[in-house]
Amino acid sequence: MSDYTLDSAEGRVEALRRMLTIRSFDETAGERFADGEIPGFVHLYVGEEAVGVGTCAALNDDDYIASTHRGHGHCIAKGLNPKYMMAELYGKADGYCNGKGGSMHIADVDAGMLGANGIVGAGPPMATGAALSIDYQGRDQVAVGFLGDGAVAQGQVHEAVNLASTWNLPAIFVIENNRYGEGTPVEQQHNVDNLSDTAAAHGIPGVTVDGMDVTAVAEAVEEARKRARAGDGPTMIEAETYRYRGHYEGDEQVYRDEDEVERWREQDPIASFKERLIDRGELTEAVFEEMQAEAQATIENALAYAKEADDPHPSEAYEDMFGDSVPEIERFAQQATARTDGGDH
Amino acid sequence: MARVGLVVNPGAGRDIRRLTGGASVVDNRAKERVAACVLDGVTVLSEPPMVSIMPDRAGIAAAAAENAPDTVTVEILDLPVEGSAEDTRRAVAHFRESADVVVVLGGDGTTRDAAVESGPMPVLAVSTGTNNVVPTPVDGTVAGAAAAVVAAGRVDTDAVTTRHGTVEARAETPTGEATVTGLASVEVSARSFVGTRALIDPADLVGGVVSRAHPTEIGLSGATGCLDPFGPEAAGGAALRLRDPATASRTVRTAVAPGVTATVGIESHDRLAAGETARFDVADGVVGADGEREQELVDATVDITPRENGPQLIDVRDALDRAARAGVLVRD
Repeated sequence: MSDYTLDSAEGRVEALRRMLTIRSFDETAGERFADGEIPGFVHLYVGEEAVGVGTCAALNDDDYIASTHRGHGHCIAKGLNPKYMMAELYGKADGYCNGKGGSMHIADVDAGMLGANGIVGAGPPMATGAALSIDYQGRDQVAVGFLGDGAVAQGQVHEAVNLASTWNLPAIFVIENNRYGEGTPVEQQHNVDNLSDTAAAHGIPGVTVDGMDVTAVAEAVEEARKRARAGDGPTMIEAETYRYRGHYEGDEQVYRDEDEVERWREQDPIASFKERLIDRGELTEAVFEEMQAEAQATIENALAYAKEADDPHPSEAYEDMFGDSVPEIERFAQQATARTDGGDH
Repeated sequence: MARVGLVVNPGAGRDIRRLTGGASVVDNRAKERVAACVLDGVTVLSEPPMVSIMPDRAGIAAAAAENAPDTVTVEILDLPVEGSAEDTRRAVAHFRESADVVVVLGGDGTTRDAAVESGPMPVLAVSTGTNNVVPTPVDGTVAGAAAAVVAAGRVDTDAVTTRHGTVEARAETPTGEATVTGLASVEVSARSFVGTRALIDPADLVGGVVSRAHPTEIGLSGATGCLDPFGPEAAGGAALRLRDPATASRTVRTAVAPGVTATVGIESHDRLAAGETARFDVADGVVGADGEREQELVDATVDITPRENGPQLIDVRDALDRAARAGVLVRD
C-alpha cells in the first residue's frame, strides 16, 4: 500500500497534510515566479489537490504515475521531497533533474514518478508504456496517466488508451477536468458532456467523480486498481475539479469571472475534508492550524534550500543525454568547461 | 394549450456502478434520442401539447428542440444552468406552475429531485439512470404518448396516477442534525464516506427503510421484496436490518446493484405504518437514498420514517389503456 490510505484516521490526516503541502508549495512557487526568481513557466495546482492526493492514496508505493505540465501536486502526492522539487524549479544542481527540467519536467523514477511533461497529453502514452512493462514482467503494479481536459482531444491520448485497452494492460487514466483547456471552456472543446464517455470508444469503463472530494477520487482509483490487477484492463476516471489560478502564472484569465472562482472555492477540497475530519473527531482546529504552519515551514525550508543550492556546472548541460559517450557531445562539454574556467575560447 | 414539461438529466446514468457492477452507460446522445422520442410520441394526439424542456450544457435540449416534429411547439426554458441537481429542481418548480405533466428522464436520483418540487403535478419518470426502482423502463415514444393524453385531460388523471411514498431520515449527531429523503429507500451503510456516492459493496449495507418492496427491484427494496412484496401505492413501508450472512438465520439472494447479485443476511424485517419510525444507531457510516450515499455520520441516531408525500406518478400502461378504451387514439 501507499504510505497513506484513506482507510485509517492517520492516513486521512496524512492525505490532508499532503494537500496542505501542495497548496503551500504552489502558492509559494507563484509568488517567487512573480518576483522573477523562477525561470521558465509555472502551472499551479491550487484547487486541484484532491485529485493527485486521492489518486496516490489508492496506489501502492511502487505503482507508477505519469504527470502533466501541472505536476507539482502529483509529485508531492507521490511522496517526492519539496526541497529537491523547489531546487529543480530554481534550476539548481540538486534538483530532481539536476536543474535541467524545471517546473514542467520533475521526475523521480525511483519513487514511481515517471515525469511531468510539457507536451499536452504525454502522460497516457507513458502510462501505457509503463503498464506494458508491468505486464511483460509480471509485476504487481499499475501505472496511472494523468491528463487534462484539453488533452482528451489529443491523438496520442487515444492511441495510448486504445493500446492499453486492446492489450488489457494495468493502466488507469485520470482526467483532471478543471473546466478550461488553457482559456477555452471544456464545452467548446468537446462534443461529449462527460469526458469519461470517451472510454466507451475503447471498450473500457469510464466514470466521472467529484474531483473536489479526495474520498471520491481515492475510491474510484481503488476500484480501478483492483480491476487492473484482476487482469480486467484499464479504466478511465474523470475527476471534475477546478484551478483557482490561471492556466499559467501571468494568465489574465479573461475567459472567466471572479464569481465563478468563488463558487468553486466554496467546495474547496482542503476546507471540506478538514471539516469532515473534525466532525469525525480525527482532527481539531488547533491541530489543523499546526499542520498548516508545518506545511508552510516545510516549503519555506525548501525555498531557502533551493536559493542556496549550487547552480549546475555548464558542462552538465551535456550530461544525461545519451547512454553511451558521443564524441561530438564530449567535445562540446569540454569547450563549455574551458569557457567557464576562463580558458581559451 | 396543454403543456408537457421535459427534464433530461445529463448527469444521470454514469456513476461508479459502471466500474463495480454491470450498470449500462447511458450517454447524452442516447438521452438526446430518448428526448426526441418523447417529442415524437406527443403527436399521438392530432393537437399535440406544447413541450417545454429544461436547459442543459450538454446540448440535449437544443438537439431535441431542433429535431422536433413540425406539429409540436417546443421551447427551452430560460433558466440558469448549474450542472447540478438544482437544475432539475428549478425546472420542475417552474413546470409545477406552467405545465400539466412533467416527463423526467433519469434514474431514481433524478426522479427524487423532481419529486421535491412536483407537488400535485403528475410525473412520468422514464428510466435512463442507474438504479431504476421508481422510473419506468419504457420507450420514450410511448412515454410521450402517455404524457400527451394525461396533459390534454383525455384520460382521468386520478385513475392513471398513484401517489408514491417517500422515506425520510432524520439524523442527530453530537454536532447537529441532518435530513435525507429517498423515494424507494433510505439505506444505512457502514462505509465512512460519501465517496463516489453509489452503494457498491453489499457488505457495507447495515439496513434501512423502504417505501416499496419487490424482487424485481434493485437495492434494499429488492431485498425486502424477497421477504414480503408490496407496491409503491401501499401505505407505510418496511424496515430491514441486515447482518453477516454467515451468521444469519435467514438470507436472501438479490440484486443489490446492477450486476451485483449478493447473499444478504437478515437480522430483522418489520412492516411500518405510514409515519412509524425505525431507529438506527450509526457509529461511523453514511445514510443514503435510493442506492446513493448522501450524508456522512459519526455517533449518530437516525430515525427513518415512511411518508405518504411522494410524487404523483403516471402509470404509462394505464394511461394509454384508458385512452384506447375511450377512443382517444382513433381518428375517423
